[in-house]
Amino acid sequence: MTSYLLNILVFVCINGILAVTLNFILGYAGIFSLAHAAFFGIGAYVAANVGLHVGPSILLAMPAAMIVCALLSVLLALPALRVRGEYFVAASLGLQIIAVSVFAEWHSVTGGLGGLVGIPVPEIFGFRIAGAGPMAVLSLAMLALISGFLAVLTRSSFGRNLMAIRDSESASLAFGKRIAATKVLSVAISAGLAAIAGVLYAFYVRFVNTESFMLDTSILLMAMVIIGGTGSLWGPILGATLITLLPPVLSYVPYLPPQQVGSIQQIIYGMAMILLMVFQPSGLVALFKRKEKSQ
Amino acid sequence: MLILQLLLNGLQTGMLYALTAAGFSLIFGMTRIFHAAHGATFVIAAYAYWHITSLAGLPWWVAALGATMAAVIFGAGLYLTVYRRIQRSEASFFTVFIAAFGAVVVVQNVISMIYGRGFVSSSTPLSRAKELIPGLYVAPLIWVSVAVAAVFFGAMALLLKRTRLGVAMRALADNPELVRVYGLDPGRISLMVFVIGSILVVPAAIIQVIATGANPAVGHHIVMISLAASIVGGIGSLSGAAIAGILIGVAETLALLVVGSQWTEAVSFLILFVFIIVRPAGIFGRAHAH
Amino acid sequence: MTDVAQVVGNGGLTPEVRREAGEVLLEVRNLNKSFGGLAAIQDVSLDLRAGVVTTLVGPNGAGKTTLFNLITGHLKPDNGSVSWRGHDIIGEKPWQIARRGICRTFQDLRLFEHMTVEDNVLTVMEQSFWPVQPGGFAKARARRARVHEILEETHLSDKARIRAIDLSYAERKFLSLARIMATDGVIWLLDEPASGLDPRSFELFVRLLRQNVARGITVCIIEHNLDVVISLSDRVAFLDRGQLLAEDDPETILKDPHLAAIYFGERA
Repeated sequence: MTSYLLNILVFVCINGILAVTLNFILGYAGIFSLAHAAFFGIGAYVAANVGLHVGPSILLAMPAAMIVCALLSVLLALPALRVRGEYFVAASLGLQIIAVSVFAEWHSVTGGLGGLVGIPVPEIFGFRIAGAGPMAVLSLAMLALISGFLAVLTRSSFGRNLMAIRDSESASLAFGKRIAATKVLSVAISAGLAAIAGVLYAFYVRFVNTESFMLDTSILLMAMVIIGGTGSLWGPILGATLITLLPPVLSYVPYLPPQQVGSIQQIIYGMAMILLMVFQPSGLVALFKRKEKSQ
Repeated sequence: MLILQLLLNGLQTGMLYALTAAGFSLIFGMTRIFHAAHGATFVIAAYAYWHITSLAGLPWWVAALGATMAAVIFGAGLYLTVYRRIQRSEASFFTVFIAAFGAVVVVQNVISMIYGRGFVSSSTPLSRAKELIPGLYVAPLIWVSVAVAAVFFGAMALLLKRTRLGVAMRALADNPELVRVYGLDPGRISLMVFVIGSILVVPAAIIQVIATGANPAVGHHIVMISLAASIVGGIGSLSGAAIAGILIGVAETLALLVVGSQWTEAVSFLILFVFIIVRPAGIFGRAHAH
Repeated sequence: MTDVAQVVGNGGLTPEVRREAGEVLLEVRNLNKSFGGLAAIQDVSLDLRAGVVTTLVGPNGAGKTTLFNLITGHLKPDNGSVSWRGHDIIGEKPWQIARRGICRTFQDLRLFEHMTVEDNVLTVMEQSFWPVQPGGFAKARARRARVHEILEETHLSDKARIRAIDLSYAERKFLSLARIMATDGVIWLLDEPASGLDPRSFELFVRLLRQNVARGITVCIIEHNLDVVISLSDRVAFLDRGQLLAEDDPETILKDPHLAAIYFGERA
């Protein structure tokens, strides 16, 4: 039983990292990206390649994945962010689609549709991180680190710059703020940190293929952020927890035909998204907080 | 010869895209609502048509009527129950988008629970390809698609230019407040926009069911293409969306000459990218002074 | 025909001594801008000199805000030139122009609604887009001290942690002023900064403006309120339908019956 729960914990943390980093650009910068799963995937593939061709050291895989994701996101954000927010949604959607095509076709690097198997057990300084237990500890630590880092960042001048831009671009410009540069930097930070989730995933499941990094996943991540609540640190973590727990919880509900469970899950969070947007757009976390004075 | 074949196939796909893109562009251009659930309307219309012809065995025109009713009920219903309520409390673009996405997810899964995830299609004599000239296979469906699309676009143009409702809809696009000043109700006009936008989807859905078949996931694809075409054509321009839809359909199919079929979707988005970067206003769009 | 000065009096606010004009900071020459067929700005030329307070007056729709937008780079002119200390700044981005020292407020304020009063003022001073501002902790503390200073002067100290969206109308106007006080702007372009204020807040506001002008800030104000025009301005520029009809000292402008007629809507 414990290893079952620990297994869930690992995925809660991985999804938590993805949700928290997506919330950073969605809730604080107002950037609506449907390409987050693509960066998750890129991080995973880089980690897989490091693991298969260089060595099992996570301390090597993480910086590599972070740098690749951050650089790629800058390349993509630079042109796309010069246009209005609504167009960025379309651009990020395009990115996600193209990324999946690349994942499926670039056999030498991604193993094509079959994916990459046999990723070794990860190590930190020679200490093997084998099994759900140690991996849960590592994932929890990374989630805490990343959340902490982002919390500090949002309370810094950078956070204020982002929020100013989100609240009024024209006023931000009039006060000398560089909107494109700030947004590109925030996308780079978000993508670079999301890569860590990819690394953890690749080294835990030890098998990566395109299935986990498609548009459905991007939408799922968006749902986590929205349902939990944007603009606060706990919202996305709450959302990630709820949505990750949904499949295992459903598996205990009697009388559910097993092949329909997947659809039922999706219907539940689809309905949740609709109902929340109509009745409580600030997400579930707002139910737990008293009226906030500031962010 | 292959090129000609692909061109013709692309034309048919393009007509389909043009219709759905026009519906999406109409709704977005006039109500500023990002109707991400447009793809769900498409799926519902497609399955309604298929159910009525193939499962219930009724004639095609009954099925078409049924599909239209289903599409309108869904599109207009979504507007009334979800979008309008959101607009009243908080007119955020993203809130509406998320709710619409939620709707797509729900519809897609309800349909796959009822009908399964596989493709469903309805074959008619129209879809049987005949060898026109050696090497060129043309099904009558291609001409029918072009004709149907032309009829619908002609009707749309007439509606927008000649009828009071059309003028009111165009006024709504420019200035919702002014519409109120003239004693019209923006809510009622928006509702009509959703009704008409949803009707435009029906012929496209029927063509899809006959030509290639539909499955629950096709809604996603349709929304993405509609969005891409609306942007490439220029937000607010129906003719732009239609032309862009044809352009994307042809480009997608012609791309098969060069790349494998897994890349065709990526091709559409490459086109979108180029336009976003080079000419965000699109083909016919009004460039906005920021 | 109306004599404006007679109608308004000077509301008990005594005019300041007219300042000596300094160097020309901002030079606008033959500026033109049309929207579709509508000529919003026609052949406007204007000098803003150091230390001088200029008020832009004119009926609604005269193009005053458009002129500001053209100067600050939010709009691009069809032709003409805008020079800042001799440099041509047409085509520069708004953030570049702002960093040269040309700062502005907006008629509709455009506050950072979901941020606190404190943060609204603080973020103006944080120019770098990187996560860490140059100067380290010392500069950061200096910035915060300056924020408190400014909030004191604008009577917003007890609202420091309130979000902008929750402020009263007058407080919002003062916050808009506080933001521009936080810049190291050499020239302030203020778009109807005091409109709609109750008499007491208005008095406080004008006093605050005067203090800043006394510090040497060059100001160009768009105003309808003639008290501000009379008591604060060194020069008045009269705009109507995109054209600069006159630019002179306040007394001359206000005594001109022709301009008064245009302003009060009694066109010949």
